[in-house]
Amino acid sequence: MRYNKDSVVGTMLFTLVLCLFCSVMITGTSAGLKERAQAKQLAELKRSVLKTAGYGQLIDNNLSENFDSHVTAVVLDLDSGAIQPDLDAMTFDDRMAAMNPDTSRKPKKDTARIGRRADMARAFKITNDQGELEGVVMPIHGKGLWSVIYGYVALDADLNTIKNVTIYEHGETPGIADFLEDESWLSQWQGKKLFDDSGKVAVKVVRGGAEDGDEHAVDGVSGATLTGRGVERSMQFWFGEEGFRAFLSSIKASEV
Amino acid sequence: MSNNTVAMKEVLRTPIFANNPVAMQMLGVCSALAVSGSMQTAVVMSLAVTFVMVFSNLIISCIRNLIPNSVRIIAQMTVIASLVIVVDLVLKDVAYEISRQLSVFVGLIITNCIIMGRAEAFAMKSKPWPAVVDAIGNSLGYAVILCGVAFVRELLGNGSLFGQEILVTVANGGWYLPNELFQLPPSAFFLIGFMIWAINVIQKRQG
Repeated sequence: MRYNKDSVVGTMLFTLVLCLFCSVMITGTSAGLKERAQAKQLAELKRSVLKTAGYGQLIDNNLSENFDSHVTAVVLDLDSGAIQPDLDAMTFDDRMAAMNPDTSRKPKKDTARIGRRADMARAFKITNDQGELEGVVMPIHGKGLWSVIYGYVALDADLNTIKNVTIYEHGETPGIADFLEDESWLSQWQGKKLFDDSGKVAVKVVRGGAEDGDEHAVDGVSGATLTGRGVERSMQFWFGEEGFRAFLSSIKASEV
Repeated sequence: MSNNTVAMKEVLRTPIFANNPVAMQMLGVCSALAVSGSMQTAVVMSLAVTFVMVFSNLIISCIRNLIPNSVRIIAQMTVIASLVIVVDLVLKDVAYEISRQLSVFVGLIITNCIIMGRAEAFAMKSKPWPAVVDAIGNSLGYAVILCGVAFVRELLGNGSLFGQEILVTVANGGWYLPNELFQLPPSAFFLIGFMIWAINVIQKRQG
Protein backbone atom coordinates (compact mmCIF):
# COMPACT_ATOMS: atom_id res chain seq x y z
CA MET A 1 0.00 0.00 0.00
CA ARG A 2 1.27 3.44 -0.86
CA TYR A 3 1.74 5.90 2.00
CA ASN A 4 -0.78 8.73 1.76
CA LYS A 5 0.11 11.65 3.97
CA ASP A 6 -3.36 13.18 3.87
CA SER A 7 -5.20 10.04 4.96
CA VAL A 8 -6.37 9.73 8.57
CA VAL A 9 -3.71 7.15 9.36
CA GLY A 10 -1.03 9.24 7.67
CA THR A 11 -2.03 12.32 9.65
CA MET A 12 -2.05 10.39 12.91
CA LEU A 13 1.32 8.84 12.17
CA PHE A 14 2.86 12.17 11.24
CA THR A 15 1.52 13.89 14.35
CA LEU A 16 2.81 11.10 16.56
CA VAL A 17 6.30 11.16 15.06
CA LEU A 18 6.48 14.96 15.16
CA CYS A 19 5.41 15.06 18.82
CA LEU A 20 7.98 12.41 19.69
CA PHE A 21 10.68 14.32 17.87
CA CYS A 22 9.79 17.58 19.65
CA SER A 23 9.60 15.99 23.07
CA VAL A 24 12.99 14.36 22.59
CA MET A 25 14.39 17.77 21.64
CA ILE A 26 13.03 19.39 24.80
CA THR A 27 13.87 16.59 27.24
CA GLY A 28 17.33 16.35 25.70
CA THR A 29 18.00 20.02 26.40
CA SER A 30 16.52 19.84 29.84
CA ALA A 31 18.49 16.73 30.75
CA GLY A 32 21.68 18.29 29.41
CA LEU A 33 21.21 21.32 31.63
CA LYS A 34 19.98 19.39 34.65
CA GLU A 35 23.28 19.01 36.46
CA ARG A 36 24.08 22.70 36.14
CA ALA A 37 20.58 23.61 37.24
CA GLN A 38 20.92 21.44 40.33
CA ALA A 39 24.28 22.94 41.22
CA LYS A 40 22.76 26.38 40.84
CA GLN A 41 19.81 25.46 43.01
CA LEU A 42 22.12 24.19 45.72
CA ALA A 43 24.20 27.37 45.58
CA GLU A 44 21.00 29.42 45.72
CA LEU A 45 19.88 27.48 48.80
CA LYS A 46 23.20 28.13 50.50
CA ARG A 47 23.03 31.81 49.62
CA SER A 48 19.49 32.17 50.97
CA VAL A 49 20.32 30.43 54.24
CA LEU A 50 23.49 32.46 54.82
CA LYS A 51 21.67 35.67 54.02
CA THR A 52 18.82 34.83 56.38
CA ALA A 53 21.25 33.88 59.12
CA GLY A 54 22.86 37.31 58.89
CA TYR A 55 26.03 36.12 57.16
CA GLY A 56 25.27 37.91 53.91
CA GLN A 57 28.84 39.21 53.77
CA LEU A 58 30.08 35.62 53.41
CA ILE A 59 28.36 35.12 50.06
CA ASP A 60 31.41 35.13 47.81
CA ASN A 61 33.54 32.69 45.85
CA ASN A 62 34.05 30.45 48.86
CA LEU A 63 30.33 30.04 49.30
CA SER A 64 30.43 26.32 50.02
CA GLU A 65 33.22 26.51 52.60
CA ASN A 66 31.66 29.45 54.36
CA PHE A 67 28.36 27.65 54.40
CA ASP A 68 29.90 24.52 55.89
CA SER A 69 31.76 26.43 58.57
CA HIS A 70 28.64 28.15 59.92
CA VAL A 71 25.71 25.99 58.97
CA THR A 72 24.78 22.43 59.81
CA ALA A 73 21.88 21.22 57.73
CA VAL A 74 19.73 18.51 59.25
CA VAL A 75 16.65 16.56 58.27
CA LEU A 76 14.23 16.05 61.12
CA ASP A 77 11.04 14.19 61.82
CA LEU A 78 8.40 16.85 62.40
CA ASP A 79 6.21 14.85 64.77
CA SER A 80 8.94 13.67 67.13
CA GLY A 81 11.45 16.43 66.50
CA ALA A 82 14.22 13.85 66.17
CA ILE A 83 17.04 14.49 63.74
CA GLN A 84 17.46 11.83 61.06
CA PRO A 85 21.24 11.46 60.75
CA ASP A 86 21.13 8.93 57.91
CA LEU A 87 19.48 11.38 55.50
CA ASP A 88 21.59 13.86 53.57
CA ALA A 89 20.03 17.24 54.27
CA MET A 90 21.43 19.00 51.23
CA THR A 91 19.95 16.58 48.73
CA PHE A 92 16.70 16.02 50.63
CA ASP A 93 13.88 16.99 48.30
CA ASP A 94 11.30 18.59 50.57
CA ARG A 95 8.81 19.37 47.82
CA MET A 96 8.86 15.84 46.50
CA ALA A 97 8.45 14.50 50.04
CA ALA A 98 5.36 16.64 50.53
CA MET A 99 3.81 15.31 47.31
CA ASN A 100 4.49 11.63 47.95
CA PRO A 101 1.59 10.11 49.94
CA ASP A 102 3.99 7.68 51.66
CA THR A 103 6.10 10.45 53.17
CA SER A 104 3.45 13.05 53.89
CA ARG A 105 0.02 13.46 55.43
CA LYS A 106 -2.82 15.97 55.51
CA PRO A 107 -2.30 18.38 58.40
CA LYS A 108 -5.01 18.29 61.06
CA LYS A 109 -5.29 22.06 61.08
CA ASP A 110 -4.05 23.30 57.75
CA THR A 111 -3.74 26.99 58.60
CA ALA A 112 -1.06 27.53 55.94
CA ARG A 113 -3.26 25.83 53.31
CA ILE A 114 -0.44 23.63 52.06
CA GLY A 115 -2.62 20.57 51.43
CA ARG A 116 -0.06 17.98 52.41
CA ARG A 117 2.77 18.25 54.89
CA ALA A 118 5.88 16.12 54.57
CA ASP A 119 6.82 13.97 57.57
CA MET A 120 10.37 15.21 57.38
CA ALA A 121 11.67 18.72 57.00
CA ARG A 122 15.00 20.40 56.57
CA ALA A 123 16.39 22.81 59.14
CA PHE A 124 19.69 24.61 59.55
CA LYS A 125 21.65 25.10 62.76
CA ILE A 126 23.82 28.19 62.72
CA THR A 127 27.05 28.29 64.69
CA ASN A 128 29.28 31.32 65.22
CA ASP A 129 33.05 31.51 64.73
CA GLN A 130 33.63 29.85 68.11
CA GLY A 131 31.40 26.93 67.17
CA GLU A 132 28.59 27.84 69.60
CA LEU A 133 24.96 27.53 68.58
CA GLU A 134 23.87 30.96 67.47
CA GLY A 135 20.43 30.20 66.14
CA VAL A 136 18.48 28.22 63.61
CA VAL A 137 17.12 28.83 60.14
CA MET A 138 13.80 27.20 59.32
CA PRO A 139 12.13 26.92 55.95
CA ILE A 140 8.47 27.89 55.87
CA HIS A 141 5.88 27.90 53.15
CA GLY A 142 2.19 28.54 52.81
CA LYS A 143 -0.43 29.72 50.39
CA GLY A 144 -0.85 33.44 49.82
CA LEU A 145 -3.43 34.80 47.43
CA TRP A 146 -2.37 33.08 44.21
CA SER A 147 0.62 31.00 44.97
CA VAL A 148 2.67 29.24 47.57
CA ILE A 149 5.10 31.60 49.27
CA TYR A 150 8.45 30.08 50.27
CA GLY A 151 10.77 31.64 52.79
CA TYR A 152 13.27 31.18 55.59
CA VAL A 153 13.02 32.36 59.16
CA ALA A 154 16.15 32.74 61.26
CA LEU A 155 15.76 32.56 65.03
CA ASP A 156 18.22 33.65 67.71
CA ALA A 157 19.64 31.14 70.17
CA ASP A 158 16.67 31.70 72.51
CA LEU A 159 14.54 30.17 69.72
CA ASN A 160 11.96 32.88 70.20
CA THR A 161 13.41 36.10 68.85
CA ILE A 162 13.25 36.42 65.06
CA LYS A 163 16.59 37.37 63.65
CA ASN A 164 15.58 37.72 60.03
CA VAL A 165 13.03 36.63 57.46
CA THR A 166 13.59 36.16 53.74
CA ILE A 167 11.15 35.17 51.04
CA TYR A 168 12.83 33.44 48.13
CA GLU A 169 9.98 32.32 45.93
CA HIS A 170 6.42 33.42 45.37
CA GLY A 171 3.98 34.07 42.56
CA GLU A 172 1.88 36.79 44.14
CA THR A 173 0.57 39.79 42.20
CA PRO A 174 3.57 41.49 40.56
CA GLY A 175 4.05 45.04 41.77
CA ILE A 176 1.65 44.83 44.70
CA ALA A 177 3.35 41.92 46.40
CA ASP A 178 6.90 43.14 45.70
CA PHE A 179 7.16 44.01 49.38
CA LEU A 180 7.81 40.32 50.05
CA GLU A 181 11.32 40.79 48.69
CA ASP A 182 11.75 44.32 49.99
CA GLU A 183 14.37 44.71 52.70
CA SER A 184 12.49 47.50 54.46
CA TRP A 185 9.42 45.32 54.93
CA LEU A 186 11.33 42.17 55.82
CA SER A 187 13.51 43.99 58.33
CA GLN A 188 10.42 44.75 60.41
CA TRP A 189 10.48 41.13 61.50
CA GLN A 190 13.89 41.52 63.10
CA GLY A 191 13.65 41.34 66.88
CA LYS A 192 10.00 40.31 66.96
CA LYS A 193 9.07 37.54 69.39
CA LEU A 194 7.63 34.41 67.85
CA PHE A 195 5.73 33.12 70.90
CA ASP A 196 3.66 34.87 73.55
CA ASP A 197 3.91 34.13 77.29
CA SER A 198 1.63 31.11 77.07
CA GLY A 199 3.83 29.58 74.37
CA LYS A 200 1.45 30.14 71.49
CA VAL A 201 2.67 31.45 68.13
CA ALA A 202 1.72 35.11 68.31
CA VAL A 203 3.33 36.71 65.24
CA LYS A 204 0.92 38.53 62.97
CA VAL A 205 0.76 40.83 59.98
CA VAL A 206 -1.58 43.66 60.93
CA ARG A 207 -3.81 45.31 58.40
CA GLY A 208 -3.56 49.08 58.76
CA GLY A 209 -0.22 48.88 60.55
CA ALA A 210 1.10 47.34 63.74
CA GLU A 211 0.90 49.29 66.97
CA ASP A 212 4.13 50.80 68.24
CA GLY A 213 5.94 48.54 70.64
CA ASP A 214 3.97 45.42 69.77
CA GLU A 215 6.63 42.76 69.90
CA HIS A 216 4.70 40.24 67.80
CA ALA A 217 3.28 42.30 64.94
CA VAL A 218 4.49 43.82 61.68
CA ASP A 219 2.71 46.16 59.26
CA GLY A 220 0.50 44.72 56.59
CA VAL A 221 0.55 46.24 53.13
CA SER A 222 -2.65 47.71 51.76
CA GLY A 223 -3.86 45.94 48.65
CA ALA A 224 -2.05 42.79 49.69
CA THR A 225 -4.02 41.71 52.74
CA LEU A 226 -4.23 38.09 51.68
CA THR A 227 -0.55 37.89 50.79
CA GLY A 228 0.29 39.24 54.25
CA ARG A 229 -2.10 36.79 55.82
CA GLY A 230 -0.41 33.98 53.90
CA VAL A 231 2.95 34.88 55.45
CA GLU A 232 1.37 35.18 58.91
CA ARG A 233 -0.39 31.83 58.69
CA SER A 234 2.71 30.09 57.32
CA MET A 235 4.60 31.27 60.39
CA GLN A 236 1.80 30.14 62.66
CA PHE A 237 1.65 26.74 61.03
CA TRP A 238 5.35 26.02 60.81
CA PHE A 239 6.15 27.07 64.37
CA GLY A 240 3.01 25.42 65.75
CA GLU A 241 2.21 21.90 66.84
CA GLU A 242 2.38 20.39 63.38
CA GLY A 243 5.46 22.34 62.41
CA PHE A 244 8.80 22.71 64.14
CA ARG A 245 7.47 22.85 67.73
CA ALA A 246 8.79 19.41 68.67
CA PHE A 247 12.18 20.07 67.09
CA LEU A 248 12.56 23.46 68.77
CA SER A 249 11.77 22.01 72.19
CA SER A 250 14.26 19.23 71.62
CA ILE A 251 17.09 21.67 70.87
CA LYS A 252 16.06 23.77 73.83
CA ALA A 253 16.21 20.71 76.08
CA SER A 254 19.62 19.67 74.80
CA GLU A 255 21.00 23.18 75.24
CA VAL A 256 19.97 23.66 78.86
CA MET B 1 24.54 28.50 -10.74
CA SER B 2 25.31 32.23 -10.77
CA ASN B 3 21.65 32.88 -11.30
CA ASN B 4 20.99 30.83 -8.19
CA THR B 5 23.42 32.84 -6.06
CA VAL B 6 21.82 36.08 -7.18
CA ALA B 7 18.43 34.72 -6.14
CA MET B 8 19.84 33.69 -2.77
CA LYS B 9 21.28 37.14 -2.20
CA GLU B 10 17.90 38.59 -3.02
CA VAL B 11 16.22 36.25 -0.51
CA LEU B 12 18.71 37.37 2.13
CA ARG B 13 18.64 41.08 1.34
CA THR B 14 15.01 42.01 0.72
CA PRO B 15 13.71 41.28 4.22
CA ILE B 16 16.36 43.50 5.80
CA PHE B 17 15.06 46.75 4.34
CA ALA B 18 12.82 46.56 1.30
CA ASN B 19 10.43 44.03 2.77
CA ASN B 20 11.30 44.33 6.44
CA PRO B 21 8.96 42.12 8.49
CA VAL B 22 8.44 44.68 11.25
CA ALA B 23 8.49 47.91 9.27
CA MET B 24 6.82 46.81 6.03
CA GLN B 25 4.65 43.86 7.01
CA MET B 26 3.88 45.13 10.52
CA LEU B 27 4.59 41.73 12.08
CA GLY B 28 6.16 41.13 15.47
CA VAL B 29 5.57 44.71 16.59
CA CYS B 30 4.42 43.63 20.05
CA SER B 31 7.80 42.31 21.14
CA ALA B 32 9.59 45.12 19.31
CA LEU B 33 7.80 47.59 21.59
CA ALA B 34 8.30 45.61 24.75
CA VAL B 35 11.93 44.52 24.78
CA SER B 36 13.54 47.46 22.99
CA GLY B 37 14.18 49.39 26.21
CA SER B 38 17.84 48.49 26.35
CA MET B 39 20.45 47.24 23.90
CA GLN B 40 21.21 44.15 25.96
CA THR B 41 17.68 42.76 25.96
CA ALA B 42 17.24 43.71 22.30
CA VAL B 43 20.36 41.81 21.23
CA VAL B 44 19.49 38.74 23.29
CA MET B 45 15.94 38.79 21.99
CA SER B 46 17.19 39.10 18.40
CA LEU B 47 19.49 36.13 18.93
CA ALA B 48 16.66 34.07 20.40
CA VAL B 49 14.36 34.91 17.50
CA THR B 50 17.13 34.15 15.00
CA PHE B 51 17.75 30.75 16.53
CA VAL B 52 14.08 29.83 16.59
CA MET B 53 13.41 31.11 13.07
CA VAL B 54 16.43 29.43 11.45
CA PHE B 55 15.71 26.06 13.00
CA SER B 56 11.95 26.18 12.54
CA ASN B 57 12.40 27.05 8.86
CA LEU B 58 15.00 24.32 8.49
CA ILE B 59 12.94 21.60 10.17
CA ILE B 60 9.70 22.56 8.48
CA SER B 61 11.34 22.78 5.09
CA CYS B 62 12.88 19.34 5.58
CA ILE B 63 9.55 17.73 6.41
CA ARG B 64 7.42 19.92 4.14
CA ASN B 65 6.48 17.05 1.83
CA LEU B 66 5.39 14.89 4.75
CA ILE B 67 3.16 17.39 6.54
CA PRO B 68 -0.53 16.51 6.05
CA ASN B 69 -2.44 19.54 4.86
CA SER B 70 -5.09 19.36 7.58
CA VAL B 71 -2.62 19.69 10.48
CA ARG B 72 -0.20 22.02 8.69
CA ILE B 73 -0.46 24.98 11.05
CA ILE B 74 -0.45 22.87 14.19
CA ALA B 75 2.63 21.02 13.01
CA GLN B 76 4.41 24.35 12.47
CA MET B 77 3.30 25.57 15.90
CA THR B 78 4.59 22.39 17.55
CA VAL B 79 8.03 22.79 16.02
CA ILE B 80 8.19 26.50 16.88
CA ALA B 81 6.92 26.00 20.43
CA SER B 82 9.44 23.25 21.11
CA LEU B 83 12.28 25.42 19.85
CA VAL B 84 11.11 28.30 22.04
CA ILE B 85 11.09 26.06 25.10
CA VAL B 86 14.65 25.01 24.26
CA VAL B 87 15.71 28.66 23.97
CA ASP B 88 13.97 29.49 27.23
CA LEU B 89 15.74 26.65 29.07
CA VAL B 90 19.13 27.61 27.70
CA LEU B 91 18.60 31.29 28.43
CA LYS B 92 17.58 30.57 32.01
CA ASP B 93 20.76 28.58 32.39
CA VAL B 94 23.32 30.93 30.85
CA ALA B 95 21.81 34.36 31.50
CA TYR B 96 19.27 34.16 34.28
CA GLU B 97 19.08 37.92 34.87
CA ILE B 98 18.40 38.74 31.24
CA SER B 99 15.85 35.98 30.97
CA ARG B 100 14.06 37.56 33.92
CA GLN B 101 14.03 40.92 32.15
CA LEU B 102 12.69 39.36 28.97
CA SER B 103 10.15 37.51 31.13
CA VAL B 104 7.14 36.44 29.08
CA PHE B 105 8.50 37.72 25.80
CA VAL B 106 10.74 34.71 25.26
CA GLY B 107 7.68 32.50 25.58
CA LEU B 108 5.77 34.83 23.31
CA ILE B 109 8.22 34.18 20.47
CA ILE B 110 5.85 31.27 19.80
CA THR B 111 3.18 33.73 18.73
CA ASN B 112 5.58 36.00 16.87
CA CYS B 113 3.91 36.29 13.48
CA ILE B 114 7.22 36.67 11.66
CA ILE B 115 8.28 33.12 12.48
CA MET B 116 4.88 31.61 11.80
CA GLY B 117 4.59 33.68 8.63
CA ARG B 118 7.97 32.60 7.28
CA ALA B 119 7.24 28.95 8.07
CA GLU B 120 3.90 29.05 6.28
CA ALA B 121 4.82 31.35 3.41
CA PHE B 122 8.35 30.27 2.62
CA ALA B 123 9.58 27.11 4.33
CA MET B 124 6.53 25.09 3.26
CA LYS B 125 7.39 25.71 -0.39
CA SER B 126 11.18 25.82 -0.43
CA LYS B 127 14.18 23.57 -0.10
CA PRO B 128 16.03 23.64 3.25
CA TRP B 129 18.94 25.88 2.17
CA PRO B 130 16.85 28.77 0.79
CA ALA B 131 14.57 28.44 3.82
CA VAL B 132 17.51 28.95 6.16
CA VAL B 133 18.74 31.94 4.15
CA ASP B 134 15.25 33.41 4.24
CA ALA B 135 15.13 32.90 8.02
CA ILE B 136 18.48 34.64 8.46
CA GLY B 137 17.34 37.55 6.29
CA ASN B 138 14.10 37.99 8.20
CA SER B 139 15.70 37.73 11.62
CA LEU B 140 18.27 40.31 10.52
CA GLY B 141 15.38 42.52 9.49
CA TYR B 142 13.81 42.04 12.91
CA ALA B 143 17.15 42.62 14.64
CA VAL B 144 17.82 45.83 12.67
CA ILE B 145 14.54 47.35 13.84
CA LEU B 146 14.81 46.05 17.39
CA CYS B 147 18.40 47.14 17.93
CA GLY B 148 17.82 50.42 16.11
CA VAL B 149 14.92 51.28 18.37
CA ALA B 150 16.77 50.05 21.45
CA PHE B 151 19.82 52.15 20.52
CA VAL B 152 17.80 55.36 20.48
CA ARG B 153 15.68 54.41 23.47
CA GLU B 154 18.53 53.46 25.74
CA LEU B 155 20.70 56.38 24.67
CA LEU B 156 18.01 59.04 25.08
CA GLY B 157 16.11 57.33 27.87
CA ASN B 158 19.00 56.40 30.14
CA GLY B 159 22.03 58.03 28.56
CA SER B 160 23.72 54.65 28.25
CA LEU B 161 24.42 51.84 25.79
CA PHE B 162 24.68 48.20 26.93
CA GLY B 163 24.49 49.60 30.46
CA GLN B 164 27.64 51.71 29.91
CA GLU B 165 27.09 55.40 30.55
CA ILE B 166 27.61 57.45 27.38
CA LEU B 167 25.84 60.68 28.19
CA VAL B 168 26.47 61.52 31.84
CA THR B 169 23.06 62.05 33.42
CA VAL B 170 22.12 64.83 35.82
CA ALA B 171 21.48 62.25 38.54
CA ASN B 172 25.16 61.23 38.31
CA GLY B 173 26.37 64.83 38.26
CA GLY B 174 26.50 65.22 34.48
CA TRP B 175 24.60 67.42 32.06
CA TYR B 176 22.15 65.07 30.36
CA LEU B 177 18.55 65.03 31.57
CA PRO B 178 17.09 61.66 30.43
CA ASN B 179 13.93 61.86 28.38
CA GLU B 180 11.68 59.50 30.27
CA LEU B 181 9.32 59.03 27.36
CA PHE B 182 12.00 56.86 25.77
CA GLN B 183 12.00 54.49 28.72
CA LEU B 184 8.37 53.65 28.03
CA PRO B 185 7.11 51.31 25.28
CA PRO B 186 5.01 53.95 23.39
CA SER B 187 8.19 55.71 22.28
CA ALA B 188 9.02 52.63 20.23
CA PHE B 189 5.86 53.31 18.22
CA PHE B 190 7.15 56.72 17.15
CA LEU B 191 10.61 55.36 16.42
CA ILE B 192 9.30 52.50 14.30
CA GLY B 193 7.10 55.04 12.51
CA PHE B 194 10.12 57.20 11.69
CA MET B 195 12.00 54.12 10.49
CA ILE B 196 9.16 53.17 8.15
CA TRP B 197 9.16 56.72 6.81
CA ALA B 198 12.90 56.63 6.23
CA ILE B 199 12.79 53.23 4.50
CA ASN B 200 9.94 54.38 2.26
CA VAL B 201 11.72 57.58 1.26
CA ILE B 202 14.94 55.72 0.45
CA GLN B 203 13.07 53.14 -1.59
CA LYS B 204 11.23 55.83 -3.61
CA ARG B 205 14.56 57.52 -4.38
CA GLN B 206 15.95 54.26 -5.65
CA GLY B 207 12.84 53.83 -7.77
